Amino acid sequence: MSDLQKEVTNLIYRESTLLDRREWDDWIDLYTEDAIYWVPSWANEEETTDDPELQLNLIYLRNRGGLEDRVFRIESRDSYASVPLDRTVHVVGNVLVENENGDEVEATANCIIHTYGKKGGLTRGSLYDFSMRRVDGELRITRKKITFIDDRLEGPIDVYHL
Amino acid sequence: MDGSIVENPVSALVDDRMDEGMFRVDRSVYTDEDIFEQEIAKIFEKSWIFLCHENQVEKHGDYFWTEIGRQPVFVHRQDDGSLKCFINACSHRAAILTPFRQGNAKTLTCRFHGWSYKCDGACIGIKNEEPDTDKSTFDLREIARLDSYGGFVFGSLSADVPSLDDWLGEAKSWIDLMVVQSTEGLEVVPGSPIYAIDGNWKFQAENSVDGYHVSTVHRVFANTIAAREGKGEYTGIKKTEAGRMAGGVPTGSYDLGNGHMAVWAQHTTPEVRPIWEQKERLERDLTPAQVDWILNKGRNLYIFPNVMLMDNPSTQIRVMKPISASRMDVSVYCIAPKGESDTARAGRLRKFEDFYLTAGMATSDDLAALEDTQEGSLATGAKWNEFTRGMDSIIYGPDKEAAALGFNPPVCTENWDHEIHYHGFYRQWLKMLEEN
Repeated sequence: MSDLQKEVTNLIYRESTLLDRREWDDWIDLYTEDAIYWVPSWANEEETTDDPELQLNLIYLRNRGGLEDRVFRIESRDSYASVPLDRTVHVVGNVLVENENGDEVEATANCIIHTYGKKGGLTRGSLYDFSMRRVDGELRITRKKITFIDDRLEGPIDVYHL
Repeated sequence: MDGSIVENPVSALVDDRMDEGMFRVDRSVYTDEDIFEQEIAKIFEKSWIFLCHENQVEKHGDYFWTEIGRQPVFVHRQDDGSLKCFINACSHRAAILTPFRQGNAKTLTCRFHGWSYKCDGACIGIKNEEPDTDKSTFDLREIARLDSYGGFVFGSLSADVPSLDDWLGEAKSWIDLMVVQSTEGLEVVPGSPIYAIDGNWKFQAENSVDGYHVSTVHRVFANTIAAREGKGEYTGIKKTEAGRMAGGVPTGSYDLGNGHMAVWAQHTTPEVRPIWEQKERLERDLTPAQVDWILNKGRNLYIFPNVMLMDNPSTQIRVMKPISASRMDVSVYCIAPKGESDTARAGRLRKFEDFYLTAGMATSDDLAALEDTQEGSLATGAKWNEFTRGMDSIIYGPDKEAAALGFNPPVCTENWDHEIHYHGFYRQWLKMLEEN
């Protein structure tokens, strides 16, 4: 395994571990200030929306502040959907480095997310498209697109379910 | 139905004693499967049901598959530009005829045995047809009534319903407030999430016009947005307004008759709304009251029994499909004026995503609250839900805001924390269960 493959894989593993262990601040720190976090919605049975600006997404956060909003809400303990907090286990696989250009890297991965909450256990799947940038020697996420394969959503969905 | 219904008449489920200041509903209406079966037969299959927006079936051959109650139907745009709606089941062996929820097909061919139907429902092809078959006996079954108002398409399985115009009644002026926002018409923006709720459909009806929960359930949304604004990241039309959630703004609630209900609250920053860019045009074309209602009042309209039109942080069609006493599917669509600027459209969508989705930061909390009320309703040891807030503030007929716009609600109060508008909903519900 190349050093880059290891580095990219570690970053993706790190992210899912921090989400599952609810270490929100460290999770956010994996993202650059200008990071985009995008979860398209399904436009029909076979295609997702593909223009995040002018079509409806499930989540579309245009900088890290959007992730901070989510964490603010979770940590407030005042969100009905987030108390009690669902338990989650992300299992990431199929990590592929798709492109490298200087400090910029693109990678894809798959994730199976098992959650447990009021509805019992639910298993879901996501396809990840990452863009990363080397900042001060360390890879950070500049863009994460999550294709959440469910189009009939069961229960509230937040950043830790995806 | 079995005899248990006769022993426990539905009239006992709504305790309507206005002269004694009491209105309450037996919680079993949310949990009892026998009652649910009656609702399907006597309400959903006996009244106008919202099907789709005309924009979703704009071109010849466009189809839209949905349900009336639990029965699959599809709306189909005809050669002559009119709409027809058919039972979505092959006349032969009942396979669904539309491969997708929404698509285009001038002829529909069943994927099971290859029977085919013209746009107008005529059976035109039977594979390996036997001699002397009269194909017309296999034409698709058209539903009893189909009509639209302002582009919103409704259908009924029963012919015995009032005209759509009469049925919508006082709700029409609220629908108009959405329709007149564009001279080119409205369109449904691509992307239409569906979410499942472990809850009774009537809880969704109630929640959509429940002003009272906003300052508790959505307090965290208001605080989150306030914290965001403190960082100066979202300004102008990108800003999601949270002011009205803290309370302290003018509000109102209306029983619009026929089970329709509505609430509104004053916007604290109307200039961040996507419609604001059209202010001059609206002022030129519309009455001052219409302009005020469009620009300054966040509005939620519930049309009995299955659709809600929201014009609050963003603009939404929300459609309910009841599945069982304790389960429903909800489809949400962002509906927007054709021809608005990209900036307004993007602002409208970002507000929608912030608030209105189960992946957003407010509807998700509504969903959790709703599912808790469903679970709590199993507690038959305490069986009544009371709807008495505002009993002392009832206005029979229009308040000054309604009078200005020109609609005539049977009952209203000048406070969306009140619960009087639900009385009309439950009276309509009871009437249909008793009479049909």
